[in-house]
Amino acid sequence: MPWLNDLLQQNARLAEDIFYVMEPFLFLVVIALAVFVLLKNKQIKKLQNSLRDLQRTYQDLDNQAKLIIKTDLELHKTQSELDKKMSGLYTLQKISRILSTTLDENEIFTKITAEHISELGFDKAMAFITSPRQSSSPNIIPNIKSKIGYNDKDIEEIFNNKLTKEIFDPVINHSHVISSLDAKIHPKELSSIVKILKIHSFVCAPISTKEGIIGALFVGSESMFSPITLGDKEIISILATQIGQSIENAKLFEETWRSHQELEIKVKERTKELSRALEEINIVTKRKSDFVSAVSHELRTPLTSIKGYASLLSAGKLGEISAPVKERLEKINKHSDNLSNLITNLLDISRIEAGRIEMKIEDVNLREILDTLADLFAPQFKEKQIEFRRDLPDGLNTIPADRGQLQRVFINLVSNAFKFTPEKGKITVRAKRIDNSVQIDVEDTGAGIKKENLNKIFEEFYREDNEINQNVKGTGLGLSLVKYIIEAHKGKIWANSELNRGSTFSFILPLTRSQ
Amino acid sequence: MTTNTYIGVGFSSHADPLEAAKIASSQAKKQIHQKKPNLIIVFSSVHFQGRKLLEGICYIFGENTNILGCTGSGVITEAGVLKYGVAIMAITSTKIKFGIGAVPQINKDHPRESGEQFARSALKNLGAHTKGIGLIFSDGLIEKGSELLDGVKEILGRSFPIIGGSAADNLHFSKTYQYYNKDTLNNALIGTILSGEGIFGYGLKHGWRPLGRPHIVTQSSGNIIQKIEDGPAIEIYKDYFKKTLEEIKSLLIQISVLYPLGIYLSEEEEYLLRNVMHINPDGGIVCQGDVHEGSQVRIMLGTKETALEAAQQAALEAKNPFKHTPALGAIVFESVSRINLLGHRANEEINIVKNTLGENIPFIGVCTFGEQAPLKSLEYRGESHFHNEAIAILTIGERHALAE
Repeated sequence: MPWLNDLLQQNARLAEDIFYVMEPFLFLVVIALAVFVLLKNKQIKKLQNSLRDLQRTYQDLDNQAKLIIKTDLELHKTQSELDKKMSGLYTLQKISRILSTTLDENEIFTKITAEHISELGFDKAMAFITSPRQSSSPNIIPNIKSKIGYNDKDIEEIFNNKLTKEIFDPVINHSHVISSLDAKIHPKELSSIVKILKIHSFVCAPISTKEGIIGALFVGSESMFSPITLGDKEIISILATQIGQSIENAKLFEETWRSHQELEIKVKERTKELSRALEEINIVTKRKSDFVSAVSHELRTPLTSIKGYASLLSAGKLGEISAPVKERLEKINKHSDNLSNLITNLLDISRIEAGRIEMKIEDVNLREILDTLADLFAPQFKEKQIEFRRDLPDGLNTIPADRGQLQRVFINLVSNAFKFTPEKGKITVRAKRIDNSVQIDVEDTGAGIKKENLNKIFEEFYREDNEINQNVKGTGLGLSLVKYIIEAHKGKIWANSELNRGSTFSFILPLTRSQ
Repeated sequence: MTTNTYIGVGFSSHADPLEAAKIASSQAKKQIHQKKPNLIIVFSSVHFQGRKLLEGICYIFGENTNILGCTGSGVITEAGVLKYGVAIMAITSTKIKFGIGAVPQINKDHPRESGEQFARSALKNLGAHTKGIGLIFSDGLIEKGSELLDGVKEILGRSFPIIGGSAADNLHFSKTYQYYNKDTLNNALIGTILSGEGIFGYGLKHGWRPLGRPHIVTQSSGNIIQKIEDGPAIEIYKDYFKKTLEEIKSLLIQISVLYPLGIYLSEEEEYLLRNVMHINPDGGIVCQGDVHEGSQVRIMLGTKETALEAAQQAALEAKNPFKHTPALGAIVFESVSRINLLGHRANEEINIVKNTLGENIPFIGVCTFGEQAPLKSLEYRGESHFHNEAIAILTIGERHALAE
């Protein structure tokens, strides 16, 4: 087909013409493309480098993560142990508080509960008391004081098995704290022992008192996921020591309590005896007072008659009497007066003792009383050349007392002083205020009293055995009466003395009136 | 406004379970003005599990009392976390209805079926009342916790809020107990659906933070991760902890509760945490909850501060719906991992919860091996998930802001 060949030739020429026209442009495009590819390649290389960097950083970060995890695991392990220790110490403190208030030996063991054991991180526990001899003998079950997580059959199996002695013997006999962490037992045996004890790990610590090791505390964990730590060993050891101390305290308390009880019983018995004795004394005293009172009354009536008739006879009203008779009658009169005084004193003592005399308290002028006293004794003082001194402080004018009874006190004390003071001696009455009381001293320069007799002189009918007393008659009731009167005033009397130097009788009276 | 609901709580650590139950129950009964309770929630440490505990409760509240609860590695009261004791909550209400359900034996191979079975029985017992929230207690040692929850969600609806805890023991990981009326069960799923709208609040947070680079799960089935980045899954732990397989095995529980795996969920605020329970011979790791193939997982790290912050956020979330009238009571599910992490500061966390919820709001709680709760607050109607390391709080009130 010629027309087709023509057409093809025309196209070829046209293409040739176009190529000639476009040649420079195409050349430029190729160059541009080449430059573009070159730039892109450079960019790709840059990106590839960045990617490599990123991958390296990514890997570094991942490696750092591994490092963090590893460190965190270690940190967590340490922290867990610390936490366990802290919680153990907290529980230990709780148990210690309870144990310190328990003073019954048996109760000590019941106070440690399953809750405490669980808080300490264990599942099973037992505490037993034994003796070294017992522990070394096979097949003897010790005195189990507490068991948590074990029944009687378990206990029997545990102590009937020789293998478990590998744990208990070093604890009881050598005071070792044994744990599954460090038990010097062959691993095979250890695995059999933990099987018998139905646990995975354990701690066993000795319980000791002053007398030595008396038992052991055993705790065990069933879980393989909560194994024991060194901290557990320390805590259980402390707990066992605490139990030992509590037992010791309980024993001490029991001993103290027992002796206290015995003492209390003795005191009660003695008090009863004393009460009985006091009762008897009171009865006897009352009988004595009643007797003295009755006898005195009975004596006074005939005495008054005797004295009356003697006076009548002596006055010559029944006819003249001879001088020797008169002399005898005056003696009768004088002895009747002495007897009458004695009866009066006895009656007063028994009345005061029986509370039948009431002290009529009023404001008494002390200076006036002493002046009267000086007047009363003036002839006697003059006769023996005795100096009578009164030493009263300014401002102490009146004291609350029964005037009549206070006068009797002074008359008795001064006449006593007079009796024992030799010629040219000195009698001093001195008063001084002490807080809310007044102290009055009656001091003489007389013969004095033996020290050992100072306590007896206020007893009824007591008369010291001395030369003066042998020559001068007395009833032995004067100082007793004085003591009764002072005590009825809520006061106190005592005496100081030095042989051949003199005596001081002192008494204290309250300055405030009792209600 | 008249009060329709009364909540009372009690606690005892009396060594005898019967006496402890009586003491705690009496305290709770006093707080509900001696009324007959509709439901008793009981949490205890394993020391108290058994017939006597439930007998003690019935002694105080009567023979036909509805009892639900479980054991934990500790119980929570306003005094803090206690390793030993019994905590009881008594709820009496004319407004809230309770649809109680129980599956005494979870099908371990197909836990989803048990979840469904529970939900059906609870729904049946609730009757025609509007369902408000699900409260569940399950055995904490089952490995397929997520599947169990999936079964419940399957029946109640994926967006239906479910809150609860997986029972625990005293860290022996040997046996946990669930309380259902007069029975003490093992391997059980029990719970109730509570009726009512606008009377519940809840919050959940954990406070664990991701560390290191993300890793892709390349092979998994259910709760087992076989491969991470085409290598045996356990390599991730070996690598990060620089430990041998044997060392990892012996420290697995400690490592796993402190450094769980975190699954990134694009639509959620926090990572979903998974504890590792076992290591398979092929190096695969068995988790407590599901991990899907293709998920991004990271090693997670918790600190005391972030955990305490999280507790406050959870309490705030649970409290927020009750803006005008405070909640009447709260139940706390606290992961044992948190107690482990916080150590002696665990009580600080309970104080934060108490202070955030309000001083006078009665609450009890339990330390669990797993927690169930929606990831986000009520406003988001987030889906309920199985969690580890979390604190989940349920609040019960009269009527909250959203319903007003």
